[in-house]
Amino acid sequence: MLSTRAVGLGSPLRKTLFSPSLARNQSLIRTSFAKRTVQTESLPPSASVDILNKQRLLRPSSPHFTIYQPQLTWIASIANRGTGAALSALLYGFSLAYLVAPGTFDSVHVVEFVAGLPDAAKYAGKALLAAPFAFHSLNGIRHLSWDLGKFMTIKGVYQTGYAVLAGTAVSTVVLMFL
Amino acid sequence: MASSLLASTSKRALARRSPAFAKPFLAARPATTQSQSDALYVPGGPIYKGTVNDPTTFPEPSRAHGSHHWSFERLLSASLIPLTGAAFATSPSVHPVLDGLLGVSLVVHSHIGFDSMVVDYLHPRKWPVIGRIATWGLRTATIGVLIGVYQFNTNDIGLTELIAKVWSA
Amino acid sequence: MSLLPRLPCFARQFSSSAARFLATPVDKKPVLNKEFKIYRWNPDEPAKKPTLQSYTIDLNQTGPMILDALIKIKNEVDPTLTFRRSCREGICGSCAMNIDGQNTLACLCRIDRKEGKDTKIYPLPHMYVVKDLVPDLTLFYKQYKSIKPYLQNPEPPADGKEFLQSPEDRKKLDGMYECILCACCSTSCPSYWWNQDEYLGPATLMQAYRWIADSRDSHTAERKEVLQNEMSLYRCHTIFNCSRTCPKGLNPALAIAKIKMELAAD
Repeated sequence: MLSTRAVGLGSPLRKTLFSPSLARNQSLIRTSFAKRTVQTESLPPSASVDILNKQRLLRPSSPHFTIYQPQLTWIASIANRGTGAALSALLYGFSLAYLVAPGTFDSVHVVEFVAGLPDAAKYAGKALLAAPFAFHSLNGIRHLSWDLGKFMTIKGVYQTGYAVLAGTAVSTVVLMFL
Repeated sequence: MASSLLASTSKRALARRSPAFAKPFLAARPATTQSQSDALYVPGGPIYKGTVNDPTTFPEPSRAHGSHHWSFERLLSASLIPLTGAAFATSPSVHPVLDGLLGVSLVVHSHIGFDSMVVDYLHPRKWPVIGRIATWGLRTATIGVLIGVYQFNTNDIGLTELIAKVWSA
Repeated sequence: MSLLPRLPCFARQFSSSAARFLATPVDKKPVLNKEFKIYRWNPDEPAKKPTLQSYTIDLNQTGPMILDALIKIKNEVDPTLTFRRSCREGICGSCAMNIDGQNTLACLCRIDRKEGKDTKIYPLPHMYVVKDLVPDLTLFYKQYKSIKPYLQNPEPPADGKEFLQSPEDRKKLDGMYECILCACCSTSCPSYWWNQDEYLGPATLMQAYRWIADSRDSHTAERKEVLQNEMSLYRCHTIFNCSRTCPKGLNPALAIAKIKMELAAD
């Protein structure tokens, strides 16, 4: 179905036939005729896309966050999402639990349960809640100021970033002993 | 370990093994190049719509999903700052409206945050099953949470009071 | 040699180094070996998983930049190592790659000469690999084309010759027109990693704003309207990897923030 043709013959053959000096060169004639066996398949132009797509399917995807340098920029960003998600999950979890079992998760029982915990657990629990809350709140303010076009330089990003980290540390300690 | 770091993400690897590619490659194809690579297109996969010279296309413009959504999200986040401060500075039993407003704002803020995670990591165009489960599961959960918060704020002591009591317990 | 002092002084300029005039050869520099671990994947053996291949070369026999080391490895150690390069001066954007965890241009990145420290080189992150350090940038260019990166103004210029612009309006394009489209920023962006088929990415968005901000362009409204959706623009969460990594010191995050502010004000 596909038409085939021999290539690599036209020009050297013409040269061999029409140039008397070359016609005597036996080795060149041999090479020209040897090329007769080289054959190609004629393909429509659209086949290039097929060949390319076939190759594309073999390509691996290059590694990304596993090899990217940890930088304050994206580490703070994913931490903002992580802390927000953790706090929201707590809100969702408690509200749904209250919706399903209002008798078990009412304020009296919850406060009673927390009061019964040892002091160490209370402080650990407070730190575990205060740190994400402080970070997410302060970093949220940082994000809002970016959205107003403030601190939109690398210097501003790093200064505010370290300020948020310091603020988180201080607020966590303050909230723990409140 | 090194090879696992170098390996592609599972979804992209999956995209390459999807059944659309299983059939032999040089089988009969439509005449135009554009339609055939469109047929092989998988979002996030290595095959793109159209030829290399065709620009990518944009979704239907919608301000509800664009600038209005963005502005609403920022205004809501910004209003959480005074709302949180006010809720803890005043007594929630005196200002139940303030406590309720804070509760609803926190839930909507959380919903938008979760939703942007679903769009980023589990978008239905790439994850037709898990993505839709996540989207609708989140919507259902948010409605449940809104009802739960309303119940807790009307029948019980309210979120602000609860946090204050737990903190000093 | 005896003729030398009588030659006119400009003859000296033809010799490449002062060492040629010394009677004794200069001391050879000590060997300073450094290990380069380079990502390899060969399309001719597609079933083989990508690997890190190690090359050790003498830094004192190498130029100062990562690109010099890559060219030395290709010339002298392993000719199959494949990478893009052209201008070797940070204006073509061909040699963009991930060096020691950061996207940058190999030609603008100095080799860390600290002893005992290796350097890891990967292709741009989360891209399909054509071979070794060469990523497939087709989608990146298709996205660039989608924002119509050319002047759109059907009205002829007022003077019939050219569109005039005040120095203030021209200044708005500074920091954006210098972009060389090396794709370092887009491929450093986590949002672009997860959603590059729909999200335009920092490089393309900065060029979108370069034309929105151009006082001579009359299609500003249309340019803004196409970005009004969930994916094209608003997958940007102001992570700032783009500005942090830009080898030209540009600030795509600022351009994207300005688009968001302009869209919100519409």
